[in-house]
Amino acid sequence: MGAPSHRWRFLAGVALGAALGAWLAHGFVGDARARIAADREARRATVALQAAGALVARTDADGDAVRRALDAWQMGTPDVAQVRLARGMQLEASTAPGDAGERVAPRRLAREEKPLYDRAQRIATAIQTNREEQGGRKEEIEVAPLPGRRLSVAGPSGGESSAAGILEIETVELPPLPATSWWDFLLAVIAPVAAFGLFALVAGERRRLLVGAAVVCLSVSMLLLVRVSTARVAEDRRAETAAVAERVSEQTARVRAVAAAQGLPAEVAAASADWDTDAFRRPRAEVAADGAVHLERLADSVEETVRHLRRSLAAGAVLAVVLLLLVGLGAFHRLGRTLSRNRQAYLYIAPAIVGMLILVFYPFSYGIALSFTDSNIYNTNKNLADLWVGLRNYAEILGDVAFVKRTEGGFVFNYLSFYWTLLFNVFWTVTNVVIGVTSGLVLALILNTRALAFRPAYRVLLILPWAMPNYITALIWKGMFHQQFGVINQVLQLFGLSPVNWFDHPFTSYLAALTTNAWLSFPFMMVVSLGALQSIPADLYEAARVDGASRWQSFRAITLPSLRPALVPAVILSVVWTFNMFNIIFLVTAGDPGGSTEILITQAYKFAFQKYRYGYAAAYSTVIFGILLVYGVFQNRYSKATES
Amino acid sequence: MSRARRDQELPHAPLHVVLVAATLATVYPVLWVVSIAFSGRQTLAIADIPSDPSIWQRLRAVVPWPEQWSATNFVSVMSDQPFGRWLLNSVVVALFTTLAGIVLSCTAAYAFSRFKFPGRRAGMMSFLVSQMFPGVLTLIPLYIIMVQVLGLGNSQLGLIIVYATTSIPFSVWMLKGYFDTIPKELEEAAIIEGASAGTIFWRIVLPLAKPAVAITALFSFMTSWNEFILAATFMDKEEMYTAPVGLRFFVGGFSQQWGYFAAGSIIVSIPVVVLFLYLQKYLVSGLTAGSVKG
Repeated sequence: MGAPSHRWRFLAGVALGAALGAWLAHGFVGDARARIAADREARRATVALQAAGALVARTDADGDAVRRALDAWQMGTPDVAQVRLARGMQLEASTAPGDAGERVAPRRLAREEKPLYDRAQRIATAIQTNREEQGGRKEEIEVAPLPGRRLSVAGPSGGESSAAGILEIETVELPPLPATSWWDFLLAVIAPVAAFGLFALVAGERRRLLVGAAVVCLSVSMLLLVRVSTARVAEDRRAETAAVAERVSEQTARVRAVAAAQGLPAEVAAASADWDTDAFRRPRAEVAADGAVHLERLADSVEETVRHLRRSLAAGAVLAVVLLLLVGLGAFHRLGRTLSRNRQAYLYIAPAIVGMLILVFYPFSYGIALSFTDSNIYNTNKNLADLWVGLRNYAEILGDVAFVKRTEGGFVFNYLSFYWTLLFNVFWTVTNVVIGVTSGLVLALILNTRALAFRPAYRVLLILPWAMPNYITALIWKGMFHQQFGVINQVLQLFGLSPVNWFDHPFTSYLAALTTNAWLSFPFMMVVSLGALQSIPADLYEAARVDGASRWQSFRAITLPSLRPALVPAVILSVVWTFNMFNIIFLVTAGDPGGSTEILITQAYKFAFQKYRYGYAAAYSTVIFGILLVYGVFQNRYSKATES
Repeated sequence: MSRARRDQELPHAPLHVVLVAATLATVYPVLWVVSIAFSGRQTLAIADIPSDPSIWQRLRAVVPWPEQWSATNFVSVMSDQPFGRWLLNSVVVALFTTLAGIVLSCTAAYAFSRFKFPGRRAGMMSFLVSQMFPGVLTLIPLYIIMVQVLGLGNSQLGLIIVYATTSIPFSVWMLKGYFDTIPKELEEAAIIEGASAGTIFWRIVLPLAKPAVAITALFSFMTSWNEFILAATFMDKEEMYTAPVGLRFFVGGFSQQWGYFAAGSIIVSIPVVVLFLYLQKYLVSGLTAGSVKG
């Protein structure tokens, strides 16, 4: 079986690419149109709600007038099925079919009408919050879908004193969503395939020519598809606003008519253009007061919708071209061959790789993406693209250079600065590793003495801290460093010293953490060194002694070099462990006082889970990753250099 | 000559002094926990100190020996507190994590060690690099995937999946290092005799790699047994806590139940300490064989 010809491969590539591109485009366009249709209905319903609200505001708390006005209004607005007005526990007005006879308004809200009451409370709170924050974060107009393609829209009833009042309308069944036909998209597949097919017949098996032609055919078709699709969506968007404008005029007339019939003040026209609002009751200003469309505003907003769509479509087109190239240049063919040739190996690693992809690499990439956003606890429901801030987090972290200030009283440190934490982290790592290596090595040398009594007992007891779970160790030492009851301070007092409040000063706090970590980390170094020492053949020392070497000389010439291959990797490992020793810092010092003894990883954790600045914390962690990566590369070079 | 002889026979007494001092410093915190646990009280002082103590009373307060022995802390931590339940959660999570982790890593490590295939180097490198991912960075997305998308919050399965996966890179590196040392000739001989790849892996390679598998299992077990940040993030129902989260619950924040903490710590530590001491002879070889070779 020979490899398929270039022509066929590229033809398949064009077909697959075009199919993918068209399918994606159809999805994007369908989504955009559905969204516009939903928006249109929500806006139309909102205008109706505001118009009813305007009537309510005009009746000045006169219950009967309100009911009469709303009844008349609803009769003339056939696409609204019912309207209800509630104030506190009271149902003021209702045109719902069930609210007649016994249940006719005004009356107290019944138990099953609790959702209406809750809604009123929610909206009142939202208005309050938005006013306090001077912004729009909570929706003042709620639009909720009802079963059977209907909408329920609720907002504050008009008038000043009506913060606790709520007006709720339910629409009749909405018109169906626009179907996006497949014809354009089908054409966008057939045309490039046909064009390329014809070209390929003429061009023959010339690969370069074929690549160019395939890409051109597909690109042109995708480009045309983008134009047609955006034009159609823009048209939808304009039609939406036209429908809303029409609705505004219709409602203005309706309110005027009702007002005239009921003998209410009639000056509604000035405000009616503002009935078209967003969920925070801010006018969209796309419709002018006379019911005409504000063309400039609309053009901006159409452009925005189209830009969004165009970006998605362009991404889809790029994917299509990539697929074309992959298929055309034989990547899939080769991939398939590789897969089947190494079937067994891939089968063995597949479960591990799949797990790693989903639970390690994907979260990692997501975290990196998060680091370019302003994600925090207040905006978790938004998607990342809307929160994009570029490199701002990194600039903020790395730009905080001035962490030391000189004042008359000496130096003042900004403990929240990244550079302070980094400096402390490096200092913490170096001191810990030095102490760990020294004490471990000394103990190993002693334990390696021949014919030493009780050696196994010492060994087991000294290894104990390594075996203990380190969070328990941390909590134990935290208890022992307690200012009032802790054993350490009791010992100090035993010698006539005054007790120390360990976590009140950066240096003593650091000492406490250092002690804890030294306690739990020396056994590792001891065991590693001991293993290496025991593997040194005794003849070497014998020979050295015969040559008249002193004990120190044979230590320098034999012991140290033989320890090196074991100690270097152990030090490398322990540097990374200590650098990221989350549990000890988090549980012993918790960064006290004032974040001065925080290391990078605990600081990142605090930004994420105590200050809830997810984006910032992600950027912080990415910087940590960068540091570790640089360390890893250097360490790899170094250990390769030492090996050779 | 005389100097060399003197060197060789260093007096042992000063060495013992150093060793005893080091051992005392090592054992003291352990004895401290034991005496708090058996004191029958919740305070973290070994003995009460009067306002104007004599030197003996002060000395008494630092000697790690309870004033009176009592097992009430152990009894009530298991019966009055939900610690038994937490312990059970930890056991389930740790055992299944170890099992799943070992199966996943053994097969992957074997492939990495024995087969030459495109992506092998990249795969090993990506495993190595993934060890440098700061946990905080992946914690938020992991929470989204496991709790919000898969709905595995407050379930042991969620923790098992996460622990088993995150332990893969370390285990694979360690096991691959060991598999590399097993001579290929053994397998070639088996192939000549007509053994299938599966038979070779399960019947020849795995039994030979027992020490490495044991040590990898120990590390997997200890990691999941001792982990508390992921567990604290995923499990917010008290009854689904694991033992580490529960222990911190005793002495974190405003609660100061040091007696329960100490008793619980001893219960939690015993299995890992025993396992650790039992398997420690493999420790150094396992660690240096796998995780270090570039």
